[in-house]
Amino acid sequence: MSGLAAVLLQSGLLPEGLNVSFKLLPAIMVVAMLLLFLAIGYVFKVADTEGMWVAGRSIGNVENGMAIGSNWMSAASYLGMAALIATAGVYGLAFVVGWTTGYFILLIFLAAQLRRFGKYTAPDFVGDRFNSDSARAIAAVTTFLIGFVYAIGQARGMGLVGLYIFGDLGVAGFSGYQVMVILMMAVTVGYLTLSGMLGATKNQAVQYVIIIAAFLVGVTVVGWVNGYSTVIPQLEYGMLISELSAEFSEPFQSFDSYYLWIATCFSLIVGTCGLPHVLVRFYTVESERTARWSTVWGLFFICLLYWSAPAMAAFGTDLYSQQVGDVFGDPGMTSAAADVIVVLAAQLSGLPSWLVGLVAAGGIAAAIATVAGLFIAGSSAISHDLYANIINEDATQRQQILVGRLSIVALGVLTTLAALDPAAPIAALVSYAFSLAGAVLFPMFFLGMWWENTNRQGALAGMSTGLILWMVPMVNEVVPAYGFFGGETVLPALATWMPAIGSALVVTPIVFVVTIVVSLVTADPPTHTKRMVRQCHSPEPMGQQQTAEDVVTDGGEPTEDD
Amino acid sequence: MADKNTHDSTNGTAAGSGDGPPVTETDGGTVTQAAQDHRDTNYLDREVNILKPSTPFMREHLKVVWTGFLAWFLIVFGPPTATFLAPDTLSVGMPVLGFPLHYFLIAIGGPTGALLLAFWYSRKRDALDRKYGIHHADEPETTGSEDVAAADGGVDR
Repeated sequence: MSGLAAVLLQSGLLPEGLNVSFKLLPAIMVVAMLLLFLAIGYVFKVADTEGMWVAGRSIGNVENGMAIGSNWMSAASYLGMAALIATAGVYGLAFVVGWTTGYFILLIFLAAQLRRFGKYTAPDFVGDRFNSDSARAIAAVTTFLIGFVYAIGQARGMGLVGLYIFGDLGVAGFSGYQVMVILMMAVTVGYLTLSGMLGATKNQAVQYVIIIAAFLVGVTVVGWVNGYSTVIPQLEYGMLISELSAEFSEPFQSFDSYYLWIATCFSLIVGTCGLPHVLVRFYTVESERTARWSTVWGLFFICLLYWSAPAMAAFGTDLYSQQVGDVFGDPGMTSAAADVIVVLAAQLSGLPSWLVGLVAAGGIAAAIATVAGLFIAGSSAISHDLYANIINEDATQRQQILVGRLSIVALGVLTTLAALDPAAPIAALVSYAFSLAGAVLFPMFFLGMWWENTNRQGALAGMSTGLILWMVPMVNEVVPAYGFFGGETVLPALATWMPAIGSALVVTPIVFVVTIVVSLVTADPPTHTKRMVRQCHSPEPMGQQQTAEDVVTDGGEPTEDD
Repeated sequence: MADKNTHDSTNGTAAGSGDGPPVTETDGGTVTQAAQDHRDTNYLDREVNILKPSTPFMREHLKVVWTGFLAWFLIVFGPPTATFLAPDTLSVGMPVLGFPLHYFLIAIGGPTGALLLAFWYSRKRDALDRKYGIHHADEPETTGSEDVAAADGGVDR
C-alpha cells in the first residue's frame, strides 16, 4: 500500500483525546502478558487433532465457564459496547441485552444436546446431521466467513488500544494504528498456530481473569477518583445519568429506533446461538451436565463485565464532555475515540499510566482471546471439514494440523488487511458476523436438534437462502462504506427495514420457513439420522468420549444406567 | 450404594411426611414411577419434535423449557416495548438508585434476569434428572444432600 493511500485511508482512525505515545510501564505489562500467552500456548501445545479441536473433551465446569466468558468477551464487549452506549444511548443497550440473554436460549435449547452430539466442529454437526457434504461445505465456508468478519472488529480494537501503549511507531508507509494491527495480529496468530484448542482453552481461563480484573478495577477506580461512585459503580452510575446529556438515556423517540433496537437485539441473540466458536465450547466439556452448568457460570462471568460496561460508558461520557469536547451532536465524538472510551475514561481521570495500561491490556487480552476462539473454529472448518472430510479423505493427522495452521495464518492475513481500513465501529463490525451466524447456522442447529424430520434438502435450501439474504444488506450498506463506491447506501429504504446490523430479524424466520417447507415436501431423513437426533435428547448418560453417532451405530442400545 | 443409606436416614428424619416410607419401600427404595418409566423407554424409538414431545421425560423437560422461554421473552423484549409505548411513564427516575426506570430495566434487568433464569433452569433440569434416576459421571461431591432431595421428590409422587 502506498504511503499516500495509507494516510487517506486511516485519517479517521486517530482517537482524539487519547494520549498516543510510547509508555514504558504499560508496554512492559502488555509484552509480559503476550509472552505469558505464548508460554502457556507452548506448554500446552498439541500434536493431535483431538487436542487441537476439542481439548480432549476434558474441560470442567468453572474452567469452561471462564473459557466461555473470555472467548465471548471480545474487544466488542470490552471496548465497542461501551462505545455504543456512550454515543448511541439506549440503542447501545441492545448489545448488552443481546449478548447476555442469548446464552439462556443456547442453554435451554442447544447446550446439552450439542454435547451429546459430540463431534468436533459446527460444520461437523451440519454435515453429519444432514448427511451432506455440500451442507458441510456451506457451513464451513460460513464459519470461515464469520471468523473473518468478526475478527476485523477485534483487530481494530487491538490496533486502537495499542496506540495508547506503544504510540505511533512510524513504520514507513503505515500509520501508527496500522502498525499496531499488524503487530498484534502477528502475535495472536503465532501463539494460535502453536497451541490449538487445548492451549487456547488454558489461555482463555487466564485471559478471563485479566479481562475481568482489568475492567472491574478500571471502572471502580474511575468511579472512585472522580467521586461518581464508591464500591458498586455498576449500580451507582444511575445517579450520574440525570446529569449527562439527554441523548445518553432518552427513551425511543420513533418507531424506527425501536425497530432497530429489536432487530439488533434479536440478531445478537440468534447469532449467539449460532456462532461456531461459541457452539464448539460445548464439545470440549466432560459431560452434558457440565455443558449446562458451565453455561450458567459463563453467563455469570459475562454479566460481571456487562453490568460494568454501561457504568464505564457513563463515566467516560461525562469525563469526555468536561475535558475534550461534546460527545453528542456535530462534530461530537468520533467512532475511533468512542471505541477507546474505556481507556480514555481511565486516562482522563488522571490515573497513573500503569493503571491505564492495565485497562488497555485487558482490551488486548479480550481481543486476543476471542480471535483465538474464532480462528480455531475457522481453521477447523477448513482443515477438518473441508480438507479432511471432503478434499482428502485419507488425510493424516499431520496433514490436518498443517492445513489447520495454514488456515489460521490465512485468516490472520485476511483479517489484518481488512482491519487496516475498517468500515464501521467495533461493535457494528462484530454484529455483521452475528447476523450471519443467526441467519445460516442457528436455524440448522435448532431445527436439526429439535425436529427429526428436517432433511438434507431443507438444510441446503435454508442455508443458501440465509447466505444470500445476509449478503443483501451487506452489499447495500457495508461494502459501499469501504469507500470504493462513493460511500452511499444503495437503497436507504431497505436499510431501514433490513439493517446490516440486525438483518437476522428478517432473515432467520425466512430461513426457518424455507427449511421446514422444503423438508416437508421432500422425503424424510434416513432412520439412522433420526436415531442420532433422538440420542441427542435421550436423558441416558453417555461416556466422556462417546458421540451420539457411536451410540446409534453400536446397535442402538442405550448405555445401561447403574 | 450411598442411595440406600441416605434414603433410610431421610425417611427417619423426615418422618413427618407420613406416606413417604411405604411408597418408596414398595418401589425398592430408589426407583420412583418416573424412573421406572425412564427405564422402560427406548429413547431411540421415540420421535423428536419440539411441538410434540413423545416421552414423559421430554414432556416434563419441555414444560420447563417453554416456561423459561416465556419468562425470558418478557424480560428481554418487555422493557423496550413498554418504553416505546409509554416513554414518559417509564423514564421516571428511580428512588435511591437514580436510574431512569427504562434504563435500569433494560441494562440491568435483562442480563440479570437471564442469569437467574439460567440458574433456575439448570436446577430444574438437575431435579428432573434425579426424579428419573439419571446419574451423570460428574455429579458434585454433595451427592448426599442431592439424594435427599431425590428421595423427597420420590415421596411427592
